[in-house]
Amino acid sequence: MSVNLEKLEGNVVALEIEIEETRMSQAVEKAYQKVSKKVNIPGFRKGKAPRAIVERHVGKEYLNEEALDEVVPEAYFAAVQETGIEPIDKPKVEVVQLEEGKPVIIKATVEVKPEVELGEYIGLEVEKPETEINDEDVINELESLRQRHAQLINVEEGPAELNDTTVIDFEGFVDGVAFPGGAGTDYSLELGSGSFIPGFEEQLVGAKVGETKDVNVKFPEDYHAAELAGKDAVFKVTVKAIKRKEMAELDDEFAKDVSEFESLEELKNDILNRLKQAATQQADMKLKDALVDKAVENSKVEVPEVMIQQKIDNMLQNFAQRLSMQGMKLEDYLKYTNSDMDTIKADYRPAAEKGVKMDLVLEAIAAKENITFTDEDVDAKIEEMAKQYNSEPAVLRQWIENGGNLEPLKNSIKIDKTVELLQEKAVIK
Amino acid sequence: MRNPRDILKKPIVSERSMDLLEQNKYSFYVDPNANKIEIKHAVQELFNVSVTDVNTMNLKGKTKRMGRYVGRTANRKKAIVTLKDGDKIEIFEGM
Repeated sequence: MSVNLEKLEGNVVALEIEIEETRMSQAVEKAYQKVSKKVNIPGFRKGKAPRAIVERHVGKEYLNEEALDEVVPEAYFAAVQETGIEPIDKPKVEVVQLEEGKPVIIKATVEVKPEVELGEYIGLEVEKPETEINDEDVINELESLRQRHAQLINVEEGPAELNDTTVIDFEGFVDGVAFPGGAGTDYSLELGSGSFIPGFEEQLVGAKVGETKDVNVKFPEDYHAAELAGKDAVFKVTVKAIKRKEMAELDDEFAKDVSEFESLEELKNDILNRLKQAATQQADMKLKDALVDKAVENSKVEVPEVMIQQKIDNMLQNFAQRLSMQGMKLEDYLKYTNSDMDTIKADYRPAAEKGVKMDLVLEAIAAKENITFTDEDVDAKIEEMAKQYNSEPAVLRQWIENGGNLEPLKNSIKIDKTVELLQEKAVIK
Repeated sequence: MRNPRDILKKPIVSERSMDLLEQNKYSFYVDPNANKIEIKHAVQELFNVSVTDVNTMNLKGKTKRMGRYVGRTANRKKAIVTLKDGDKIEIFEGM
């Protein structure tokens, strides 16, 4: 097999591939075997007819076509490997010469990855993002912990105060007539939560347990039920119970209750550490994003349409998968959001284009900087992932390999390394 | 003598006939009224070969019915002609 590479304009290359006659006749023979088992020729059992008869029956062209189906992909992939091009699309294949006793010549045109004109990517200047954690953050965190661990205590009599939770029965009337959806029993309502119509909750402040109260409210003009909007309404509300949030004191006792720590001081330190860790991680990510953005900005690359489309499809697939985890189908989602495939694709387009560009640039940098990775890197990554998913590295590895995800994983390791390199060489202000 | 083309109707293309080619035997459907001698002469004249042996067999037509109408397919006669070593009939080649 011999290959002739010819560059056409716009990231398209043409491969002229010559396939030896012997290979072709082998394939034809195989095609005959296959076809003869399928066609019914009078006078012969299936698979028993001699080749000449089968050829006359189905036509020589048919056999040739079958043979080409086998030979062409094989030759094409071999040619791709030999020339080292990186196709991003399916090739268009043309048969130039197909005659008995002569080598077969095919011509495959295919779009390849564009060449990236790398700009500056070493010594990029970026600002160091904020990573300060102060006492206020810790106090906020503690406060929310208190809120979360607050207990609801029954208040014997009342009166109810704001932020109390009341258990109420209610029935609403507009112009003296009860309206649908305006009644409820044993409803837990936190006063001041704003879950009811404005004014309702405030009027319950001061109510006592067992008390029945008329609450006069006006439905807002933009109320979702049109026939009620803007109307005056009277709610007959019976307060059945009042519960008050009891927040624990901030002391060592509290620390023991909500955490494995012995004292409040330790808890505070732990919170501080965790916040700091999260902040540095975030800052690190921000820094990396900024670096990659800059590197991409400095480079010039023509993003081929095919790659964008592939990326969009990829993203859509991911999205559909996430939806299906929530028990939803993409079609249903489209119906709910009143959009269709085309608009959603158009929405994804800018992000996809950026993503492709980023991938291309990072890949180019990786190639230029000769970034390599070892099997240990892969193992380490898999181990890390296994920890996250709570599974054995070996099991996870098997799973990844079966899913055909090993290559993408390797790729991502490479990209991670590239980004690290960017970071190393960057000037951080 | 009758025209040889009236005696030999068509070659037989089947698994068996293909196998017999290896023994230099060629199979034909022939006119049921033709005898071995006539067949021998017809083959020799048409294909310019010499025949050493002729075997024949009669095939009765089958009764076929289409609803209440009963019909019959035609009777046929097969002939297997052995040629002298080295002789060939070209039209069977590549068939």
